[in-house]
Amino acid sequence: MTTGKKSYSTGAFWFVAPAMMVLLVVGIIPLLFALWTSFQQFILPKVHLKGAFLGIWPIFDAPFVWLSNYRDLLFDESFRNALGRSFLFLIINLPIQVVLGLTIALLLHRPGHEWLKNVTRIALVIPMATTFAVVGLIGRLLFNGDFGINNYFWNLVFGHKLEWLADPNLAFISISIMDCWQWTPFCALVLYSSLTMVPVEIEEAAKLETDKWWHVLHKVQLPFLLPGLTAILILRTADILKMFDVVYIMTRGGPGAATELISIYIQRIGFRSFEQGTASAEAIVLLVITIILSRIYIRFIYREV
Amino acid sequence: MTRFIRQLALGATCVALSTGIAGAWSLEEAAKPYKGTQISVIFLDRPGYHAIEKMLPDFEKKTGIKVNYEWVPYESTLEKEVRDFSSNGDLTIALVDLVWIGTFADSDYIVPIDDLKKQFPNIFDPNYDMSDFFPLLLNAFGTWNGVVYGPPFDNYSGLLFYNKKMLKDAGYDKPPETWDDLKAYAAKLTKEGKYGYALQSRRGETQSCDSFMRFIWPWGGSLLDAKFKSNLTSPESQAGLNFRQDLIKYMPPGIVDFDHAEAVNALAQGQVAMITEWSAFYSTLVDPKSSKIVDGLGVAPEPKGPAGRKPALGGFCLAVAKQANDNQKAASWLFIQWATSKETAKEYVEKGGVSGRQSVYKDPELIKKYPFIPPMVESWQQGVPEFRPRFAEWPQLSEIVAEVGTNMMIGNVSVKQGSDEIGKRVEDVLSKAGYYDGKKKLAQ
Repeated sequence: MTTGKKSYSTGAFWFVAPAMMVLLVVGIIPLLFALWTSFQQFILPKVHLKGAFLGIWPIFDAPFVWLSNYRDLLFDESFRNALGRSFLFLIINLPIQVVLGLTIALLLHRPGHEWLKNVTRIALVIPMATTFAVVGLIGRLLFNGDFGINNYFWNLVFGHKLEWLADPNLAFISISIMDCWQWTPFCALVLYSSLTMVPVEIEEAAKLETDKWWHVLHKVQLPFLLPGLTAILILRTADILKMFDVVYIMTRGGPGAATELISIYIQRIGFRSFEQGTASAEAIVLLVITIILSRIYIRFIYREV
Repeated sequence: MTRFIRQLALGATCVALSTGIAGAWSLEEAAKPYKGTQISVIFLDRPGYHAIEKMLPDFEKKTGIKVNYEWVPYESTLEKEVRDFSSNGDLTIALVDLVWIGTFADSDYIVPIDDLKKQFPNIFDPNYDMSDFFPLLLNAFGTWNGVVYGPPFDNYSGLLFYNKKMLKDAGYDKPPETWDDLKAYAAKLTKEGKYGYALQSRRGETQSCDSFMRFIWPWGGSLLDAKFKSNLTSPESQAGLNFRQDLIKYMPPGIVDFDHAEAVNALAQGQVAMITEWSAFYSTLVDPKSSKIVDGLGVAPEPKGPAGRKPALGGFCLAVAKQANDNQKAASWLFIQWATSKETAKEYVEKGGVSGRQSVYKDPELIKKYPFIPPMVESWQQGVPEFRPRFAEWPQLSEIVAEVGTNMMIGNVSVKQGSDEIGKRVEDVLSKAGYYDGKKKLAQ
């Protein structure tokens, strides 16, 4: 009786069906279409709609080139540079966000100051709830060379102003700061909720054993943090690799190519140069990279408690 | 006798009727068969479109045609239109920026005016007078490979806007006539936290069109030579680009992050003395809400370079979309014709638009009211239609120029290295497009 696969009634199928349908329409079909497009020389102004297969699958008269879009990517220096830039951004920002988030979570987890903690928890939600475009606009204002508040304080302390968005390195730092501002709270809240799952009696016992907080963190809290941490790593990695809106509004990938992250680059190829085939191939490659990274996180970090 | 009178009256009526049909063309009559037709177009959030929006009820009342318009930011317009036209969407009119005309014409998105005339002879106003448009504008915005697709609708010229008081305090009573003058002025004006000149140079079309190309043509340079190979390393192009690089020291710091808004604002707040910007920003600069130099604003044509005055040129034409059905095509043309007609030109200008018709600017009342008109009209006497190449590959080239151009300005690459890089990448794109093996006509 307990061996073999579980069987479900057909009723269950109908309950799941609507969600599956939505996922299919908004997620899977566009993905398949991108995959299809990536095998074509699909230059938007040069193709014409020739009808639709079964009424849902648009057919264009774009020539098939099979894998040549992918082959071209291997030799495309701009693509490699943009990908490298995205990874640099990931390697710099992800640890900062996790460490800052953990710090905030541990502070929130300490007993006392209930009222202050409530306010903090609400305040933490605000950056996350802010639309990306608005975060970008806030960034443009904060880092404005003339009247931005960052420069105002910088000028008070150091007596000169910086060209935040016009200098290649500073522009990269500026978008990093905005990303950390927006997403550190996410890490903090996820880790905080993981901390609350640690059984109180175990934690109290541990605190009687040692007065060093990192011992408690390492031996008692960490195992409970790992599932949340894995989720953070997967979600943040995917988000950072596809980060677009904030950068587009703050710097549009400039100056030069200093902040041209991979998704900005793909958008440029797909909707400024209209080479949809190439852009789709790039997006598929990015998707594969994201999946591989997620598998690695799950393999090496995730542990069931 | 009564019979005679009756016959006479009948004859007179006949004559009156026949002249009525053959002679006076009227919008109401021409639009009758298309009453109730819905047409769609994209509008930009700019003065010319707000002007037409205000005038629209009159058109809709006269014709019974319903005009649907959607406000779209400029940066997303091309993407939106290309998506719509490549998938048989609902736009019946194409708003065509001068750099898109090649793409739209080659992709068969828009209908030549002559084809429309053959199909719908009755909707064409005999007094429309195409020759009244500035030839440069009609040629640059609405014509591709010798075929006319649409009349110029929203028109711009690069102009020199300057702060009269700052120039006067530095001892200059007239605006710089040449770019060398401008540099000398700027050197003297750059002091005490104020700057002589600002050049909007942010990455994007701003860099490639407003900043980069502006310093190529007046020196006699060009992006491409006659064979479509890069001409950026020619002595003339290099002279222009080096001139731009020299001028940076008289511009506010962080100039590569300046878009139009920042440049216009810097002049409006009295931080810089001179900018070269589109004519359309005149209204921002004379609005006391956004400008501190309302009375002190001077307007002049862009300075001359060694090769003459070749100011930035920009603008849009309206063209009928091929994907529209026949009724929509006719109704769309009636709208385009009305919006760009002689009769509506004055109202259009008074409501904030910039007409492409020569006749309207002869009106002394308008010239008095809008001081930017004479320098603008002067700019349109000469100019380069291919200030930016108008073929389908321009968006790709624009991206390359924008990326390397900003890198050049901040000194990441030298002017020479940058020009080589742009040249190489541009030739790559053009080679892929088939310009070098004779597959594609060399038209820009």
